[in-house]
Amino acid sequence: MDVNAFLDGFGLVTEPQNLLYCLIGVLIGMLIGVLPGLGPAATIAILLPITYSIDPVSAIIMLAGIYYGAQYGGTITSVLLRLPGEASSVVTVFDGFALAKQGKAGTALGVAAIGSFVGATVSILGLTLVAPLIAGWALSFGDPEYAALALLGVLLVATIGNGNKLKAMIAAAVGLLLATVGRDSFSGAERFTFDSLQLTEGIDFVVVAMGLFGVGEILYNLEERHGKPHVPAAVANIWPSRKDLKQSSGAIGRGSVIGFVLGVLPGGGAVMSSLAAYAAEKRIAKRPERFGRGAIEGVAAPETANNAAATSSFIPLLTLGIPANASMAMLFGALLILGISPGPQLVEERPDLFWGVINSMYIGNLILLALSIPLVGIFVRILRVRPAILAPITALITILGVYTINNSTFDIFVMIVFGLIGYLMKKTGFEPGPMVLAFVLGSIVEDGFRRSMLIFDGDPTGFFTRPISGTILAAFVLVALWPAAKALLARRKTGSDDTSEPHVPAGHR
Amino acid sequence: MTILIGYVPTPEGEAALEAGIAEAATHGDDVVIVNSGRRGATVDADLVDEPAGAELVARASAAGVDARVDRSLHGANVMDTFDALVESTGARLIVIGLRRRSPVGKALLGSDAQRILLDATVPVLAVKPAA
Amino acid sequence: MSDERTPSPDQDILAEIQAEVAQDLEEERPPSGGPSYQVVGALVALVVGVGGALLAYGYGLGTLRRPGAGMWPFVVCIAITLMSVGLLVAGRRLEDSERFSRSSLLPAIGLVTFIGLALLMPVIGFEIPALLLCVVWLRFLGGESWRSTAITSVVTVAVFYFLFLYGLRIPLPHLF
Repeated sequence: MDVNAFLDGFGLVTEPQNLLYCLIGVLIGMLIGVLPGLGPAATIAILLPITYSIDPVSAIIMLAGIYYGAQYGGTITSVLLRLPGEASSVVTVFDGFALAKQGKAGTALGVAAIGSFVGATVSILGLTLVAPLIAGWALSFGDPEYAALALLGVLLVATIGNGNKLKAMIAAAVGLLLATVGRDSFSGAERFTFDSLQLTEGIDFVVVAMGLFGVGEILYNLEERHGKPHVPAAVANIWPSRKDLKQSSGAIGRGSVIGFVLGVLPGGGAVMSSLAAYAAEKRIAKRPERFGRGAIEGVAAPETANNAAATSSFIPLLTLGIPANASMAMLFGALLILGISPGPQLVEERPDLFWGVINSMYIGNLILLALSIPLVGIFVRILRVRPAILAPITALITILGVYTINNSTFDIFVMIVFGLIGYLMKKTGFEPGPMVLAFVLGSIVEDGFRRSMLIFDGDPTGFFTRPISGTILAAFVLVALWPAAKALLARRKTGSDDTSEPHVPAGHR
Repeated sequence: MTILIGYVPTPEGEAALEAGIAEAATHGDDVVIVNSGRRGATVDADLVDEPAGAELVARASAAGVDARVDRSLHGANVMDTFDALVESTGARLIVIGLRRRSPVGKALLGSDAQRILLDATVPVLAVKPAA
Repeated sequence: MSDERTPSPDQDILAEIQAEVAQDLEEERPPSGGPSYQVVGALVALVVGVGGALLAYGYGLGTLRRPGAGMWPFVVCIAITLMSVGLLVAGRRLEDSERFSRSSLLPAIGLVTFIGLALLMPVIGFEIPALLLCVVWLRFLGGESWRSTAITSVVTVAVFYFLFLYGLRIPLPHLF
């Protein structure tokens, strides 16, 4: 590891301007984590235009802060209101709210904040050590490897997320198709442009993301779906006792590791890891029946894990240029806007950005630890602001923001179209996340595929004979066929009377 | 007959509750404690939860008054809730607490108390918390 | 997917929790749309797949050695088509859609205000259309009182005016 670059990164982060953007980022993140409605991916999407007007490193630091800040914020509403602000805090609800009902809301929030901080810090340390190694190893990747890796990334995100896998894969494939709109970089032929001049340059990623995530979620939230107003639980005595800390220390440790590992995997991320960490705690507990009735480990583990995962999901983005989830896809897009293509060369070519972003997370998490507990009262107060008042504000930010990118009303209309598509997808059970991610990775997959075919002299088996791309593709096939194989096995065992398909209802977002 | 008490967990709400229960006890009325939340809000600090509501009812029955808590939500105008309740219960009186609000605050936020005082179709008893 | 047939203790707890979470979220959702929603969704995807494949074929597939402009989109479209057919056959019973109801009118109106703003902004600047959008959203979509509508929309537009034109120095089309 290049120690000088690492230290320079710290120097960069501690510049007042970057500290300020880091603070703004984590505050926005906490805020949207607290407020039901917009998630981190949608928020980053809406704020993407700002990257055009501020310094690249500051922009990325801020957007990254939104992502991990949101994980802290989601905890607060889970514990106090039984209302997960973020999908990654859903399991925290079980024990967090039970603790709040016993008058131990403060303890739950305190342990969650400490766990979050520990998890994130462990993960950043891991990131600091591992990321340069992976980047160095990935430098040897050629086109076939990248094509295969990007394809695997798309597939994993599609299959690991909530909801129906087939639908998610269709959405992802449509995303790949959308990426081909515009002039073909190899032959110069125009594809799917329908003779529109504006479409020859392709569809702007920012516009698509703002439409599908931003406008789509805004419209979706407009439909009255809020239940009754909640009565906030009283928060007293935030600092957890030594006994609470001792009881949750094991959970925090295991949560950090689970979160770090699952966060690195594409599609893993914060949601999956919080579930896995909760399950792990329940499994090894001496008295699992305590869970759901106010076990402090049931708060510590998922909250630690989701922050660890939020941090470690930066690894594939910064080292391979493969975003692991929808929020990372937004950051990927932000980097592309800034003229930086994330990948293994990033650490060499833009050490300022690479280490600046990573080191900003040390600072950002310190800020979060310092702020999250004192600000609990303020956040509960902010929750009293009705969503109806915030809705037109987000709508205006989105429209005016997308206009400022190219000073073009055409962009607004494209965004509106994608907003409508995003809304309809949500209504019919298709997740927009895989589509955006596939859209981002589309050109990598296609270009890689076509250049590889030139390398292989038209023989597609070449993908499988190269060790790394072969392994990746084997994993791809395994992941793609696993659900089908499992369903088939299950059916064979039960016989043919099994007409009703077992399925997990799709979660939100 | 029935008395409606506008209740929020503040000194003003307490004062209204006390006055309302006392009024009901002397005239043999029953009481509906109105704890109406704003529709669409995520969190409403004016609301009380189930146990707290049961406690209010217990306080009323300690004074020998039959009470229940009404939690229907209201939109932009809190009078909607009161109108509906006056209609359904045939209440003869509404009891509310008044709080001190600065002229600017009132201009910006409006005043539920004012709406009730002006628009109610039955007599309104407005009380102030003991200073 | 929960694998009910092979009860390994590891998977059970995770699946159980996932089901619990899904159920928790389900309570907040409107009723599902039923098979017709699934069929329409799958058909739209199918049309995209087939239409895209036809167009892509027109762009020229080339050979495997020298893939043409249409090769990759063609491959993707075939995948979309196949998966859509699969969804059409296997996905009719899914319950992950949401029925459109009267309250679905709200997003529709919201969408119209978006289009209105986009059309009017280049002509008369952003202030008046933005104000109108706020009023519609607050008063008619959000059920706010006139008082809170007036205050919120004026303040919002004023803040945007100063933020964009003076704070960020971004030239939005403006009237004043």
